[in-house]
Amino acid sequence: MLLRRIYQFFIIYLLGIALLFALKYTLRLSDYVIPSPDEIWRTGRDYAGPYLLAVLNTLAVAILGHLLSICLATAVAVLGRLTAWVGSFIRTAAYNIQAYPIVAVAPIIFILLGDGLASRLLIAAMICYFPLLLSFIGIFSEPVSDIEHFYESTRRMTWRLQVKIRAFENIHKLTTVIVGSATMAMVGTIVAEFIAATAGIGYSIRIALYQSDLAKILVALFLIGIGTSLYLVGLERAGNALQKRLKSI
Amino acid sequence: MQIDFDRICFRYPNSAGDLFNDLSLRIAAPGFHALFGPSGVGKTTLARMLTGAVAGFSGAIRTEGVRQVFYTYNLERLPGWSSVREHFAETTPAANRTRLEELIAAFGIEACVGARFNRLSMGQQNRTNLVRYLLQDFDVLIMDESLANVDELTREKIILKIKALFPERCFLYISHNVAEVARFCSQILILRGVSKAPQVVCVQGTDLAQGAVPPPERLERAMLEIVHAA
Repeated sequence: MLLRRIYQFFIIYLLGIALLFALKYTLRLSDYVIPSPDEIWRTGRDYAGPYLLAVLNTLAVAILGHLLSICLATAVAVLGRLTAWVGSFIRTAAYNIQAYPIVAVAPIIFILLGDGLASRLLIAAMICYFPLLLSFIGIFSEPVSDIEHFYESTRRMTWRLQVKIRAFENIHKLTTVIVGSATMAMVGTIVAEFIAATAGIGYSIRIALYQSDLAKILVALFLIGIGTSLYLVGLERAGNALQKRLKSI
Repeated sequence: MQIDFDRICFRYPNSAGDLFNDLSLRIAAPGFHALFGPSGVGKTTLARMLTGAVAGFSGAIRTEGVRQVFYTYNLERLPGWSSVREHFAETTPAANRTRLEELIAAFGIEACVGARFNRLSMGQQNRTNLVRYLLQDFDVLIMDESLANVDELTREKIILKIKALFPERCFLYISHNVAEVARFCSQILILRGVSKAPQVVCVQGTDLAQGAVPPPERLERAMLEIVHAA
């Protein structure tokens, strides 16, 4: 699983680099626009260390933001499964709000909270929250009649049991959605660092952008890809282990 | 114990025609009764009306001496997070715990109670599901093809055991097996299409008990009456 993800990333990354070089040599672009392979290699050697630390910093915030959004989405989806007006209101609000590009709200958060961890965390959590919420609402609102019927009939059904049944029956879907939203958390954190941080790989990319240093950006992208792949593999492994444990005798 | 369906008229929303038109029937005593009829005639709907799960009909359902009605069907499942025995332990009222082992043995599921539900065969799943309902406090239990995946011999043993263990309760057995309902059921309520009047015909089954052999001519007559009425 890990090797497959890393292979996939390497293929995409190398294809991207190949395309850049094809453009460079076809259009005879200068090293200032697209750096030479030698310059990229040297930049990689000089900046791999500090950029790796910056990626780890970003990854830590992304994981924290992801966890935050999973907890929040679970809590809201548990309320949203209700058939009463509260549930209906939450479902309608979620469907409407998710249609709005949350990235556009990021500057407001920056203005209100300024630079720093809080802004990065909040923006990261918000960007992966709505896709999670919609899936969670769908999963927790869908009755599993074949199992729930007995508990409803015998009046043993509690909200905890209902959530447990629906989560257990949809554990594969939940895992897939959580793994899928992990990339969004990473994207959200980097976006936050572009505008509201003095740390993290997004901040490093912003500086490289001001310096028009494409080599640094390519090195940063390489490390982001590796970091994200490792996080996704970690989540997939945890999800598979959980599913295996729940379904084994 | 008495259950009366009095002049029931019902049509599903967006449906072209009535499902029931002036349907009346009476179950006058506890015992093992059947609800019989072709597919789509409304057996499940009628059963669910009795539990209160289907509303929006005209007429009345009146009961005497009935406090708790359960409806069970053959597609029900137990949650997969623990073994069947653990589920039984969680869902069996304290007063009925003494019956648990007896039912497990009678239903032939001793070997599989340690496993999770999704590891069982469909026949074992049907039996397991029925056991947990039988362990509840009920007056009427509707069994909607609850033993559909169980072989004939085991099904016979189970039905006879249920009849022996719960003579004071009322069972409404929904099945498409003419011979089975004719042999084991007391009152066989044959539900017919809405175009036929009356919509329900009652035939007396042989109500076979454990160890008894039904007179062949009685059984044959009951079967003929069922086929003729349906």
